[in-house]
Amino acid sequence: MGPLYPQELLNPEYNLLIGFLIGIGFGFLLEAAGFTNTRKLAGVFYGYDATVIKVFFTAAMTALIGLFILHNMGIIDVTLTFYPKTFWIPTLIGGAIMGLGFIIGGFCPGTSLSAAASGKIDAWVFISGVFIGILGFIFTYDFIWEGLRKAGKMGKIDIAQWIGIKEGLFIFLLTIITVISFIVFQKWQDSWTKKMDKSDLDDLGL
Amino acid sequence: MMKRREFLIISLLVLGSIVSIFLNDIKPLPKIMDAKSLLYEVNKQGRYISTDEVAKMIMENDPSLLLIDVRSPEEYNKFSIQGAINIPADKLLDKKNRDYLDQDVYTTVLYSNGSSAADEAWMMLASYEYKGNKVMKGGLNAWYRNILNPQKPKPEKLTAELEKQYLFRKGAQIFFTGIQVSGASSANAKPKAPSKPIVKRKKKEVTGGCG
Repeated sequence: MGPLYPQELLNPEYNLLIGFLIGIGFGFLLEAAGFTNTRKLAGVFYGYDATVIKVFFTAAMTALIGLFILHNMGIIDVTLTFYPKTFWIPTLIGGAIMGLGFIIGGFCPGTSLSAAASGKIDAWVFISGVFIGILGFIFTYDFIWEGLRKAGKMGKIDIAQWIGIKEGLFIFLLTIITVISFIVFQKWQDSWTKKMDKSDLDDLGL
Repeated sequence: MMKRREFLIISLLVLGSIVSIFLNDIKPLPKIMDAKSLLYEVNKQGRYISTDEVAKMIMENDPSLLLIDVRSPEEYNKFSIQGAINIPADKLLDKKNRDYLDQDVYTTVLYSNGSSAADEAWMMLASYEYKGNKVMKGGLNAWYRNILNPQKPKPEKLTAELEKQYLFRKGAQIFFTGIQVSGASSANAKPKAPSKPIVKRKKKEVTGGCG
């Protein structure tokens, strides 16, 4: 049945409308979960707050397992969804930059927009930085970044295909890794929060 | 400390992942045009090119012409139009042939003995949305009738147009058979096949990203 839009079962206007509604839900939940608080995101790196890791890992695993099962039930065709090609070198470098951005700025691109909407000045500054980065990249792409952008090409491939194991087995292994990481991060968080004052903890919403 | 709710969510994930182990891998489907669009493509008349047009292009050394013989290699080795490359019908969808068949640099002309085999090949390519292919109308039979061995039109039916066509075909006959020299066929001497064009493929996938 799905996905609706690539099969033209949904016109572009409704597609945008649905995107808009999901966006509202996403922003609402980010704000409600306290993700627009920079200290919450930076907490992952300092070890006093594991919420972000848990939420994003859970979201990714829910999507992964859900799509895989729905695909097998014939409800959604995953091959019709957007699926980028892999370029491992620029991805590695970009990931490192993004991680640095998380810990320095305290936002990820999504939470910065939510935080800007709730009137946080640092979020507006962060977004300005994002746009400076985007424009800087665009205008220097042809003579600086093109080689890097295309380095380490692996084509359309996922990790299970790359290692050569069954996709279901990979999902299972990844889930185990996720659960272990939850437990480890929780332990780390507990060891930190024991040493912290109550006022600090309240400030973090823990 | 792990809260009860977290424990529940994790349990569901683990359960789902255990179910996943027993499910099939996701296999990418080849992209095939749906029957309706294909019917429309088939009914468009633009896919045919006449033997005379092909002959003219060869004689003028038109660099945009790419002739493709879709018959078996044995038939191809016995006779083929000069400059043609051989891609048998069963190898049409091979990856290495895609650069010849899905591009808009050359005018690709498919031919077989008649029109049908080439037409079938064309249809197969069209269903994979390969662009820029044409079929030589009448195939090699028409090629022989019109170019290699043209018959003078009967005088009672002769019009200026037919005469012009006949004169062209007679010229083409000399060009392709070298009939004045020895009567031997020069078609066995195959010039090198044109090289594959460098094609920048348009992305057809859905695009999107993450925030």
